[in-house]
Amino acid sequence: MLRFVLRRCALVVPSLLGLLVVTFLLIHAVPSDPAVAMAGDAATPEQIERLRQQYGLDRPIWEQFAVYVGRVAQLDLGESAFSHRPVMIDIAQRLPATLELTFCALAISVFLGVPLGVVSALNHNAWPDYVLRIFSVMGIALAAFWVAIMLQLLFSMQLGWLPLRGDLTSTLPRPDRVTGFLTVDCLIAGRWDAFADALRHLALPALTLSLGGLATIVRFTRAGTLDTLQQDFVFYERAMGYRWLRLVWIFVLRNSVTATVTQIGLLFGGLIAGGVVVEAIFDWPGIGSYTVQAILTGDRQVMLAVTLLVGTVYAAVNILVDVVHGLLDPRLMERG
Amino acid sequence: MSGRGRVLRRREIGTLAAGAVAVGALPALRIPSASAADASTFVSGFGLPLNLDPHQVYDVPMQSMMLNAYDNLYRYQGDPPKIVPWLAESHTVSDDGLDWEFKLRPGLKFHDGSPLTAEDVVYSFRRVLALALAPAGAFLKILKPENVTAPDPLVVRFKLETSYAPFFAAIPSISIVNPRVIKANEKDGDWGKTFLASDGAGSGAYRIVPAGYRPLEYLDMEINESHFLGWKDNPKPVRKIAYRPTKESSTRLLALLNGSLDCTDTNLPADQVAQINESKIAYVQKDVVMRTFVIRMNNTKPPFDNLNARRCFAHAFNYMGFITDILGGYATRDPYPMPEDLWGIPKDAKGYDYDLKKAKEYMAKAIAEGAPMKRPIELHVQSENEQSVQGAQLFQSDLAQIGINLKVVGSIWSTLTTAAAKPDTTPDMWVHWVSTYFVDPENWVGQMYDSQFHGTWKASAYYKNPEVDTLLRKARALVKQEERAPLYQEAIRKIMADSPDIWIYNSMQLQGLNKRVKGRRFCTVGQGAEMRWITLDG
Repeated sequence: MLRFVLRRCALVVPSLLGLLVVTFLLIHAVPSDPAVAMAGDAATPEQIERLRQQYGLDRPIWEQFAVYVGRVAQLDLGESAFSHRPVMIDIAQRLPATLELTFCALAISVFLGVPLGVVSALNHNAWPDYVLRIFSVMGIALAAFWVAIMLQLLFSMQLGWLPLRGDLTSTLPRPDRVTGFLTVDCLIAGRWDAFADALRHLALPALTLSLGGLATIVRFTRAGTLDTLQQDFVFYERAMGYRWLRLVWIFVLRNSVTATVTQIGLLFGGLIAGGVVVEAIFDWPGIGSYTVQAILTGDRQVMLAVTLLVGTVYAAVNILVDVVHGLLDPRLMERG
Repeated sequence: MSGRGRVLRRREIGTLAAGAVAVGALPALRIPSASAADASTFVSGFGLPLNLDPHQVYDVPMQSMMLNAYDNLYRYQGDPPKIVPWLAESHTVSDDGLDWEFKLRPGLKFHDGSPLTAEDVVYSFRRVLALALAPAGAFLKILKPENVTAPDPLVVRFKLETSYAPFFAAIPSISIVNPRVIKANEKDGDWGKTFLASDGAGSGAYRIVPAGYRPLEYLDMEINESHFLGWKDNPKPVRKIAYRPTKESSTRLLALLNGSLDCTDTNLPADQVAQINESKIAYVQKDVVMRTFVIRMNNTKPPFDNLNARRCFAHAFNYMGFITDILGGYATRDPYPMPEDLWGIPKDAKGYDYDLKKAKEYMAKAIAEGAPMKRPIELHVQSENEQSVQGAQLFQSDLAQIGINLKVVGSIWSTLTTAAAKPDTTPDMWVHWVSTYFVDPENWVGQMYDSQFHGTWKASAYYKNPEVDTLLRKARALVKQEERAPLYQEAIRKIMADSPDIWIYNSMQLQGLNKRVKGRRFCTVGQGAEMRWITLDG
């Protein structure tokens, strides 16, 4: 098991280095000068040139890359051109909010999607199956921004049940930052009022973000379950009088979700990317709007750092997925 | 099969029921709404500056933040804006315009209770010059750090290198900071740059709450009871400002309409005005601001190096169609290269009107002079700003009628300003606004058309007329407005005759406000974001 995980981790290093090279080259291909963003609106050419020299932007690209990699190796991600703050601090403040939203959306997708996929398969070509198939097509086809606005109109404006935007009501004091995950920090601080408020703020963005993933998981689980139901062991167990529900929810499901688990790993990256739109609409203080702002201002340090960190998180989630695969099917682990 | 279906339907119902319970439980967790219920907290939709240090960033969002957290020697107040004493109670200037002396009010204090003296003003200006970032632009060439001195705890003296009349107009752009707080947080001689980017060290009517700040996301400020102006003129002030900028236009509208936002930013789209005004809770405040909209022409690139070609383009833009149909009438036609109501405008000068016949005539003359009018022309727009795209599309359709092929190219601000640093990379044409950084013709014509500013985005027409250079430089060196005004008028007449750019409108700012907001005072500098005058009803 340990060897299996270590091998997976070792493969991450060249992947991230490759990601860094490609991102660095792409960012430098954009004709935008970060010194201009740093100097601000009323800056003179002399001020801009001084910044260019100060930040080494006048050096050859390979030299800039070598310096950057050297700094990253020391866990220094540089300074943001627009906040003039260490990128590491800015990201550390925002990444937990994005991960909180992403994990919550993923949880909704998995905990609703897997059972609904099984329900759909077991009711193959009956009305629940039709309903769920229509739903899953809609979940993939509907644009997140449209769904988000519809949910805002219904739950915030008409019913008044849930907040429109943000992660916490502006009149509530924030709990002390411990983990950066607002709901967790509320619990640690024993702030139940803030915890309930944070959950309510999380509901609409998480639901919006989960829809695409939910639809995908329903479809993959359905297909996997239908396939497994045709296996000989299912007929054998049924013939032996094995309890049907136990057979379905334990043995059939375990053999059906391999493809679903793979999809969950892939979905994670999609959710972080899709989160940019959802974060913008719900004013969620995550990494999405920070990244968009960095792109608009040509803030290279932030673009590189966000890409690297999201790549790292994505790689970590995929290692986790590989481990889950190994647990579901021990033969994979034996093969290494 | 059917039996199995029944069992599973029960399962399904159970799952759905659990979901319904979970959703149903959420209203039970409901707590009082964000803002409208709280009569002492103002939830502001103004955008936040890129960071909180007023010596690093100077733009419209910074103005709206620093007017509340910091004080200045003098400040712009009212509409039209007048520069009035603030921390200083008076000032004097020598006849040659080189020596300026400001006398501070006695008894001034920073947020930490320490006295604010002339030495602190000296430190603030030296810090601005040392960082040499945006707010330093107006001072770097005319002021050396050692020439800002404090001969007395209440007197600050400036000795300029050359006479520079806009010096006084730019004084309100410098916030006075507390050196004791900053020096305690300096790292490697950085002038506290990292610290002040996310914290406060001011004396303003509101103090920054560092724990309530996340860059570009949110910022909390609380009232400074001991502000030097006192609170007698506003016995029921806002006690807490919660900046909660919205990123999406639709969310901003909904937040205003459900009362979770007391004001929007000042870029409300015209199509949302009617909807807001029909609501019971909010209304749209309209204010004319000194913010001009201009299409730049790169005067170094053919055909724009030809006067007749530039005049052709100036007559081909449908000014009133754009203002009336696209902007809903929420702008005023401004044919001059600076705001129409600013001093120094030659009212007798006639601007360019929309006339495709004249455009064709000038086009024929330009072609006769060898200008390549048939080559594809690129107009670069700020993609994230719908208005600039719509203006470009309107222009494109009119130019097509006279046989000019205009290509609209989407871009972003940082790319455009980078390109504008050199004449050969500057686009054929591009679109931008010029906001009020200080109220002086220097902010517009001075920096846009004096050739010494070539290389800055403001001077990206790369216009060069030695006569205009002379007039603008002479006007800049004089102190008295009555002496400067005729020089600017003469310069503007010449600039308009040369038609280096297409000047379209002066902005009307549209801001959504909750009806409980009372006492707002508007000034074009800061766009009405100064909070110390505001009271919340209810």
